[in-house]
Order: sequence, then structure tokens, then C-alpha cells
Amino acid sequence: MSVARLLFSRILFSALTLLLVSILIFLILEALPGDVATRILGRDATAKALEVLRSQLHLNQPALVRYFQWIGDFLRGDLGVSIATGRPIADVLAPRILNTLLLSLLAFAIYLVLALVPAIIQAVNRGKAVDNVISMITLLLLSLPDFLLATMLLFLFAVAVPILPALATISETSTWQETLRAMVLPAVTLAIMMAVYAIRVLRDSLIEVLRSDYVRLAELKGLRPRAVLFRHALPNAIVPALNVTALNLGFLIGGVVIVERVFSYPGFGTLLIDALQLRDIPLIKATVMISAAVYVAANLVADVLAVLLQPRLRTSR
Amino acid sequence: MTMTTSSLPSRFAWLDKGFWQTTPGPFRVGAIILIAHVLFAIAGAFWTPYGFAEMGAGLPLSGASLQHPMGLDQIGRDVFSRFMYGAHIVLLLSFAGTVLGMVAGTTLGLLSGYIGGWFDEITQRIVEAMISIPFLALALVMIIAAGPALAGEPVLIVFVVALVYAPRIARIARAAAMEIATREYVAVAELRGEGTWSIVFREILLNAANVLLVEFSLRLSYAPILIGALGFLGFGIRPPTPEWGLMISENRNLLIASPVTVFGPGLGLASLVIGFNLFTDGLSRMLGQRSVAGA
Repeated sequence: MSVARLLFSRILFSALTLLLVSILIFLILEALPGDVATRILGRDATAKALEVLRSQLHLNQPALVRYFQWIGDFLRGDLGVSIATGRPIADVLAPRILNTLLLSLLAFAIYLVLALVPAIIQAVNRGKAVDNVISMITLLLLSLPDFLLATMLLFLFAVAVPILPALATISETSTWQETLRAMVLPAVTLAIMMAVYAIRVLRDSLIEVLRSDYVRLAELKGLRPRAVLFRHALPNAIVPALNVTALNLGFLIGGVVIVERVFSYPGFGTLLIDALQLRDIPLIKATVMISAAVYVAANLVADVLAVLLQPRLRTSR
Repeated sequence: MTMTTSSLPSRFAWLDKGFWQTTPGPFRVGAIILIAHVLFAIAGAFWTPYGFAEMGAGLPLSGASLQHPMGLDQIGRDVFSRFMYGAHIVLLLSFAGTVLGMVAGTTLGLLSGYIGGWFDEITQRIVEAMISIPFLALALVMIIAAGPALAGEPVLIVFVVALVYAPRIARIARAAAMEIATREYVAVAELRGEGTWSIVFREILLNAANVLLVEFSLRLSYAPILIGALGFLGFGIRPPTPEWGLMISENRNLLIASPVTVFGPGLGLASLVIGFNLFTDGLSRMLGQRSVAGA
């Protein structure tokens, strides 16, 4: 009962947050003082061009009417038409989202290995040289801007030791081997970026769990150290890392934009940049709304998983 | 009042002479890196080997040499001079943006946490919504919304950094304020009849100083990356001003011919952030706070 109620209130709050996000985006892009058309096209634009853009964006109607029209269409699944290409936004978005999803899945698989292995090594050898060295490396990687990390990996594995393609331009005609090879560098970059945040948290929570009474008990029962680690300690230590990963999704979506840009990967992030460069307001609104929805949904899932994995949180409510 | 004043000396005890010896190692290394960066930036603001926008300082694309430690870019500008001149721009933009975000976020967060009720509820929903928009998307959208007249102006970058940071800082400040609001000295101040602003800025702000200082340091660490990313994507400071992220993106074509031209400014940016991160790490340990990197 209490879990169902908690779940319901979280979903309600997420929906409310997204509604506010839509108002914010609309306010920033269309309701700031000054003429929207002039801001998009610049001061040198001809009167005719401005008039065409105004009618495309329905700028002759009051802002409130435009907002409700947009959000109503959006909720019914009609994302509108892109100004730059004249195509329906849903058609433009679908393949890009699929590509980014593919990239994220590969990145996530690599991330699991990159986050778990160093954290386990650190926790088991806490205080020893290995622990300190890995801590130092994560701190250094944490300090590397994502665009620099991507450029460095590109230089190392596509220029200095040319084993992978520098550009991840894929199309419908590329075979799955080509696609996979093209995705390796961007996926590894994303995975490293995600992992450096998780390793520190995972290490600390693992050490804490390894000190707890039930792990002591499991050891005293005579379980093998490996069984204690993987069956008893790890599942309990993962919850804080899960939360950090969800919270850092905001960083990650930004990271996707940059990584896709560096490797020219035709995904959601490059679409956002293109839309911004072309001042394609309907497309910008749709992409930003979707990225916010992904963030909110991921945090919702992390919250729910945390409750389900940790009975303590269930009863405290 | 006695409680606040009596807790002051212990809180700032580490400012005493000789505290340098007692500071954690990371703090010291970080502080040294940051001091080096500041000195380099001050020097670069007044003197560079060549002009930062001077074309034909040498043969374009001729690679690194003693006269040009970071080589030359495609139109023959000395990259080291540009790097040196850009140092103070990166530092000033990061600092100004973070300070502005700190002032706005702290004010909002402390008031929200102390006043509570409907004000808190509404503020929190807006803060939550702003955090839900991935920060790079929010920054880019605001730059587009500002229009062509403001695009590429330093003042816009400062505002964008502040607006991205303010809701995140507000969330931390609110949590601190809610905790401090339950303490006795706040109740005493209320009984004395002090006003809301007085309590928030004299009692709560002072006692939240440690949390906020670590938060400030943490945000400052990330500001050069954010500004660099905006420059890298072509939405930052207007060329020819040599912001480091912009330089890395400008010279990316030279990756094969002259890697140092790309990675020189890159190393500068990375070392600055490493300095900030080590400093923050040490600071949070000294102040008994836990710094958590997060959105």
C-alpha cells in the first residue's frame, strides 16, 4: 500500500515537473520581451522574411494561446513541423533517437565494467597502493573536459594508432560490423565519463557495507570471500551508485551532445546542435522537452529501484 | 547572539598562522596549481610573445618550435600567445559566473528553506524543473534566446553559467537552511523579534558557510569545463577572443599535423580543473564536509 502510494506521488510530481519544464522552455524561447522573429533572423533580415517566419511560428497569436496549442499538440503526439527542413519533427527525431539509444546501450555495457571492476579492486584493497593509484586516475579523468577526452581518444585510436574510424558517420547502408566499429570510440568516451562519477561513490559504499555486521556474519558463517562480496556486499552497495548515475544523467545528456559532435555521430545530440544553429525553434523545443523527459524518467526509475532494493526506505515513509 | 559569536573562532581556526602545514596534501597541490594559473593569467593579460590576434606571426601550420611552443594555427597566429592571453578570460568568466550563481542560488535557497510553506513549495518545483533540463541544453537554449546582439558577449556567458548553477546551488542551500532553522540560536533570534532577512543572513548564512564554501569551490571547478564546452560547440565567446574551448575546436583540423596545438590549450584547461578539484577535495576535508560531484 505505502509503496503504491509513494509510486503514485512520485509519478505525479514528475508530470508536474515536466509541465513546468515546458512552461520554462516556452518562456525562454518565445515569450522573452522583444520580437522573436528578429531575434531568430537577426537585425538585417528583410521585412518579408520576418513576416514569413512570424506566420510559420504563429507569432501573430497571443503567447498564451500559442503555448496551449503547442503543449496540446505535443501531448497528443504531434510534435509539429521543423522550420529548417519542412519535415514533421517526429520523422526527423525517430532515427536520431534510435541511433543515440544504440550508442547509449553500448556505452552502458562498457560503463558497467569500467565502474564495477576498479571500485571492487579499490574496496578490497582499501588503503593500499592500488586504491590510491585508482583514486588518482579517477580524479584526473574527472577533471578532463568531455570534449577534450573525446578528442584525445580520437587522436590515440584513430590518428596515432589508426585502428578505429575517426568519424562515426553511419547510415542505413552500413553493415552492423561497420556500425559497431564506428560506435566504439564515442561509446567508450561516454562510458569513461559515467564511470568516473560512479567509481568513487561505489568504492565508498562498498567499503561501508564490507564493514557492516551482516557481512561480518556471512564471513563468520564461513562463506567464501568471493561469495560474500558478490552475493551480500555488492547488491547493497549499488544503490548509492545508482542514484549518482541518475543524478548525473544531466551531465551525460550534455556529454552525448559533445561526444556525438566530436565523432559526427548522427544522433539526438547532433540534431540538437543543428537545430540550435539553424534557430529551428519548433525542433529545439521538441528536443529539449524530450531530453528533460528522459532525465525525469530516469530519476523516477532510480527512486523506485532504490525503494524496492532497500527495504529500509520503504518503511521510513 | 552569544552562541553565534562563540562558535566563530573554532570555525575559522584553520585561518591561524601555520595552518599550511596542517592542510591535507591535495589542498596544497591544488592551491599551488591554482596560484600558478592565476600568475600565468595575470602575466598573459599584460604581455604575450606575439599579439593574440596577430596574423602572420610565423609560417602557418609550421608546428611547434622554440619561438612557437604550441605551433601556429591555420591563419598563422601564435597559439601559445593566444593560450596565454586566454588564461585570464577563462578564469574571470568562471569566477564571475559562479559568484553570480552563488549569490542568486544562496539567497533563493536559504529563504526557501527557512520560510518554508507555499513559498518553498513553489520555489522547489521551479528549481526542480530547471535542473531537469540537461544543463548544456539549458545553456545553449538561453544563448539562442538571447539573440544575435548578445551572442558571443562575455556578459551573456556569465549569466548563462549563473543561471545553470543557481537552481543547483539553491537546492544545497535550502537543505542546509532547513537543518540550521531547527537549532536553538535561530529560535532565540526569532524570540528576540529579528526579521526574516536578518535571521537568514546573520544566523543561517554564517552557519551554512562551510557547506556553501565547498559548494562554491565545487561549482568553480566545473565552470571552465562548461564555458569550454560552449566555446567548443561554437556558442561561447566570439572569435577572435582566445577562450580555450574555442581554440581547441578551431585547431582540431591540425590534430594530425601538430597535436600540441590542440593539446597545449587542452592541457592548460585540464590542469586548471585538476587544481580546482584537488583544492575542493582538500577544502571539504578541512571543513568536515563531503563534496559530491553531481548535477
